[in-house]
Amino acid sequence: MGVLDYLNSLGIDCSSSGEITLPDGTPALLLVNPTKVECGIAEQGEDYLILVHTHQGESKLSIDVMPHASLRILQVILADAECRMEVRQQVGSRCEMISVVVAGGKVDYQTDMNGSFSSNVLRAAYVVGKEENARVNVRINHNVADCRSNSLVKGVAGGHATGEFEGMVYVAPDAQRTDAVQTSRNIEIGCDAHIKAQPQLEIYADDVKCSHGATVGQLDNEAVLYMRQRGLSLEQAKRLQIEGFISDIVYQSKEFGEVLAQELTSKLELL
Amino acid sequence: MLSVKNLHASVGDKEILRGINLEVRAGEVHAIMGPNGSGKSTFASVLAGNEKFTVTEGEVTFMGKNLLEYSIEDRARMGLFQGFQYPVEIPGVTMANFMKIAVNEQRKFRGEEPLTAGEFLRMMREKSAVVELDTKLTNRAVNEGFSGGEKKKNEIFQMAMLEPKLAVLDETDSGLDIDALRIVATGVTKLHTAENATIVITHYQRLLDYIVPDYVHVLYKGRIIHSGDKTLALKLEKEGYDWLINNLEE
Repeated sequence: MGVLDYLNSLGIDCSSSGEITLPDGTPALLLVNPTKVECGIAEQGEDYLILVHTHQGESKLSIDVMPHASLRILQVILADAECRMEVRQQVGSRCEMISVVVAGGKVDYQTDMNGSFSSNVLRAAYVVGKEENARVNVRINHNVADCRSNSLVKGVAGGHATGEFEGMVYVAPDAQRTDAVQTSRNIEIGCDAHIKAQPQLEIYADDVKCSHGATVGQLDNEAVLYMRQRGLSLEQAKRLQIEGFISDIVYQSKEFGEVLAQELTSKLELL
Repeated sequence: MLSVKNLHASVGDKEILRGINLEVRAGEVHAIMGPNGSGKSTFASVLAGNEKFTVTEGEVTFMGKNLLEYSIEDRARMGLFQGFQYPVEIPGVTMANFMKIAVNEQRKFRGEEPLTAGEFLRMMREKSAVVELDTKLTNRAVNEGFSGGEKKKNEIFQMAMLEPKLAVLDETDSGLDIDALRIVATGVTKLHTAENATIVITHYQRLLDYIVPDYVHVLYKGRIIHSGDKTLALKLEKEGYDWLINNLEE
């Protein structure tokens, strides 16, 4: 069951945008194929945005998160789309974003930490196959002191697909005590798939804790062998390994973890 | 149950097994000992069907079937279990999820219905008790962050879940403290019945205090050079392998 099927099963009409209520009572705003959205999350407010891209096209979102507000975003990209998202965070605000991409296209995230004591968490995963190309750019600007950001982007490419991750953590001269982590982990399936990962740091403050890292690897053949010795087929073993690989991304969402996992792994069958 | 005749196997162009003969009947426990590099782990891997090794000669019959014709997963589903010397970590995959797929694949192979969620959970609880495995571990990722002892207990837990006809345990005792050794070894003993068989590969006699073997074999340079009963292990512990190797070379 994919995300659309799941929402449909809840009686939610996915053909248009609107306010919805999730089974646990959480209200959310569903945006289907948004093209241009500008919005603000009110001071101390709490909001949940669910963005679903089912068609090709461009989309641009610009969001202001007011002081002490809390924003959650779930973005599911099912068709080759170009999505740009700009988030500006004010003092004491929180933003948690989960993004799942099962198509080619380009996704751009830029967050400006403009108020101290705000935090940003980004978890993104993409699976591409055939001739697809996925590009994920993440830029986090720590413009003020005492903010935290943590981004983790995972990519899986099969067939002749390519994936690209470009990350940047910028820490302004006055942004002391910044705590920033940026990581990208990637798996290439077969030798015709290619992933490039480039995380970067640009630091102008001297009292910060910043780290970045990137890996690109293949499936772990020892693990595949181990699983087959327990009776799993080669395909099942590979699939389970990828499922495990993306689990810390998708299960960041307590409401959608399982459907997001299925959305990503069902794509594996097509690789 | 298992009949190995003149088994030769290589990795690349290096021959490691050079004519192994072994008969294992239901209800038996066989211990395989031997110096480092004699081919013990290779023998376990070749039986399990690891494609890294090429069988160049000989035959293996398991439960009346030509074992060498089957893939690694089909051998597992037929009831062959390999306890790994170095169990592999699988990040993000919970033990529960992994075992559920494994158990149900085996059931499918035998033409049985998959277990319901309730039946499966009951089975997990019951079987984790066999090796005193904390049930919390079954919610963790496979072997990830497990201690050496937990990994080996986890191997026997999986063996309990899969109820194999033949278990080949490759140095299940290595890296265990005294208590973990007792727990793992008594676990194996609890799982032993008149219908199944166990091959334990070990360097140390102490494991065989718990898992009492019917036969002890010495593997050297890819061949079984000597077989005996459980007293052979005691003699080897005391005297080493030199007397056997010297005999052979004379």
